[in-house]
Amino acid sequence: MLNTEDFYHVWRIDQTSSLLREEIKEYCHTNIEMCLECGKCSGGCSNAHIFDITPRKIIQLIKIGEEAKLLKMDALWSCVACQLCVDRCPSSINIPRIMDYLREKAYKQNIPSTRPNVELFHELMLGNIKKFGRVPEALLSVEFNIKSKQYTKDAEMGMKMFFKGKLNPIPARVKDIQMVRRMFRNIPAQREG
Amino acid sequence: MNVAYYPGCSLHGLAKEYGISVEVVCKHLGIELNEIEDWNCCGATAAHSLNHELTISLSARNLAIARDMNMDKVLAPCAGCFSRLKGASYELRNNKVLAAEVSEIIKSEAPVEPEVNNLLQFIMEEQGLDALKGKVTKPLQGLKLAAYYGCLLTRPKEVVQFDDPEQPVSMDLVLQALGAETVNWAHKAECCGGGYAASDTDIVLDLSGQVLDSAKRAGADAIVVACPMCGVNLDTRQEAVSAKKGIKYDLPVIYLTQLMGIAFGYSPAQLGLKRHLNSPFPLLQSKGLA
Amino acid sequence: MNNSVKTALIIGGGMAGMEAASKIGSAGYNAILLEKEDHLGGIMKQLYGSFPRWDNPQELVGQKVKIVEENPNVTVKINTTVKSVQKKDESFLVELSSNEQVEIDAVVLATGFGFFDTSEYGEYGHGSFDNVYTALEFEGKLKEMESWDKKDLPQVVAFFKCVGSRDRSKGYPYCSKICCMFTAKEAGLMKDINPDAKCFVFYMDYRAAGKEYEEFVRSVIEDKHVRYVRGRPAKVLPENGKLMIRAEDTLMGVPVEVAADMIVLANAMIPSEATKELAQLFGAKTDQYGFIDYIPGHPTQTGDRVFFAGGCGFPVESLGAQYQGAAAAADVIALLNQD
Repeated sequence: MLNTEDFYHVWRIDQTSSLLREEIKEYCHTNIEMCLECGKCSGGCSNAHIFDITPRKIIQLIKIGEEAKLLKMDALWSCVACQLCVDRCPSSINIPRIMDYLREKAYKQNIPSTRPNVELFHELMLGNIKKFGRVPEALLSVEFNIKSKQYTKDAEMGMKMFFKGKLNPIPARVKDIQMVRRMFRNIPAQREG
Repeated sequence: MNVAYYPGCSLHGLAKEYGISVEVVCKHLGIELNEIEDWNCCGATAAHSLNHELTISLSARNLAIARDMNMDKVLAPCAGCFSRLKGASYELRNNKVLAAEVSEIIKSEAPVEPEVNNLLQFIMEEQGLDALKGKVTKPLQGLKLAAYYGCLLTRPKEVVQFDDPEQPVSMDLVLQALGAETVNWAHKAECCGGGYAASDTDIVLDLSGQVLDSAKRAGADAIVVACPMCGVNLDTRQEAVSAKKGIKYDLPVIYLTQLMGIAFGYSPAQLGLKRHLNSPFPLLQSKGLA
Repeated sequence: MNNSVKTALIIGGGMAGMEAASKIGSAGYNAILLEKEDHLGGIMKQLYGSFPRWDNPQELVGQKVKIVEENPNVTVKINTTVKSVQKKDESFLVELSSNEQVEIDAVVLATGFGFFDTSEYGEYGHGSFDNVYTALEFEGKLKEMESWDKKDLPQVVAFFKCVGSRDRSKGYPYCSKICCMFTAKEAGLMKDINPDAKCFVFYMDYRAAGKEYEEFVRSVIEDKHVRYVRGRPAKVLPENGKLMIRAEDTLMGVPVEVAADMIVLANAMIPSEATKELAQLFGAKTDQYGFIDYIPGHPTQTGDRVFFAGGCGFPVESLGAQYQGAAAAADVIALLNQD
């Protein structure tokens, strides 16, 4: 989470480009020099009202190369990937892809998530995929409640859902699970929640 | 037309009624669904959030199997799965470096086809509105519905290339073909909070709350969805949103295929309509549809 | 028509075309002025106000029409378009929609601009929601509002600039040049009709590069109290009878909402269909968008004996259109003098 002191100082700008900008061009296939600085991304963003840095400012920070700030921002963990920003951007700048790129980078560098439960849920889900190839939703939610120490979270609703047949207690498995596991080769060992 | 079917995890779990009704409706329409053999999870929000190569690889394996089954099209009724599969095939087509890496991982040529359809595009292209109208035996007369598209059925437009991402109409047209009335409402393509239902419930209460408010204001009797995340968020979190805002919504959240099934003469029980937390029965009964 | 002198055909009876026709006529040549509508005046005729001097556009058009009609060498043909063109050595044989055939020695294309189709912008809901208008539609609304009861007048009106302009995704990369000015004008006129109305202009930049232009925009802000919000609106969501606008105030860096009664979209100006067709018929040069393009070194010429003026070359305000009309006329006269 970024604080006011992250912003309220004089910003010395020496460079006209940044390594991060080049990286994003290469890996996200999106050129942020096309940004018109209009704010349309941030005006319609589903969660701009809870973001510590709005999408337009994220683009500005990439231009300046403020990677350290970007990798610890809360927006990485509250972006719902709804694709509104990229569709409305007059330059089609792929902000959702940039968010994924920065989050992956933060994760690989072990930078703590500002929303540990969001990260934990992702990890548990990936753990299940690695194990079974598919996601047993009931197991995942129980696992999430235990690991996040929210033992009674949604318990009442969970029971209702169980009786409505929405929670399948038996996990389905992919037969060729070795193939699925190959895909995880570049994922860092999971961090303990 | 050989149609591969990718149910995804939710249609076997949280949104089983969606899966059931998709199968009933397709069978009725004479469309044979060939489930992708030994399919794996698309990775959903978790995979694309933490590892790009993983999310593409997971989808690539599914698409490669469908291709090897000689399928012409993949139907992915879950909008989340659809978005992952369609996005992966778009990226594999346009990013040769990644395509080579993924080929190596899945030990198969990176698939750029078959084409992936969500439910709406599939119905519009494989059936069409006129054919659909001809099959209606029990018109959904008197139902005033809010067609909810959410984010991923039409976005991003460059990848999906179907319907209008901001003012989509396809679901409205399908519902009208079934005899229902649809409301013109503001939030038909805004976000419900997607995959955050468990991990950050407040986000879902906020965003789904805005969608529920908007549907209520427009005078809808129910919200119709074609995505398990939208369906589950709006149905299972409705009570909590009600409690938080002090508004009684009474808005059943129904999958499009369930309503198609009713219009084709199937009973609500055959379509899994008993599985909803906000029961659609009182509404359907009041209109003589259940 | 005097058969002993040369003839120029001017296509389009807006400000540029009228200017060109009257100048060519005044030089003693025949000028045939074609207009597809049943009246002269083009876009200007549809306007309620003008910038930067708040002149009445109907009066400006009226003066120009009078000059044209009083010129004995100008023949005006309304409700008329070009059907086909045959190039001879130093002239064109042109068949008109009236089935009349004319032989001409030079042509001036003055077909004006067209408008960007707002259906590309579903997020603003033009066509889906009530009370969302294009800027040109709003000029007509302003006229209507003169006779409305005060209680029926909109209390909050928001103006969106760059709808289809400066948009490489859904529209065109270029700036349409005149929207900043007519948006300021329309917001100011709204305040004149209903001083209690709150007018918001959402802008990326305001571009006021022209004589008296900066002063004009500043007066709309400072004297008429129109509020400028920097940020391009993202979405319009109808809510309880209002149009809820979601945008970012990019100076604050925060999301903002404005509940408006009416929204006016400054949609981009694009080449009209007629321009594209006529460019083909007369062998005129066009740019990547389909606007008429000039031959290097000859700013009003686009082909052999083919000249152009006004919005068919690029969006231009009425005064600029008249300058261009006069300049094209000078080139035509010079050419005919040499013949």
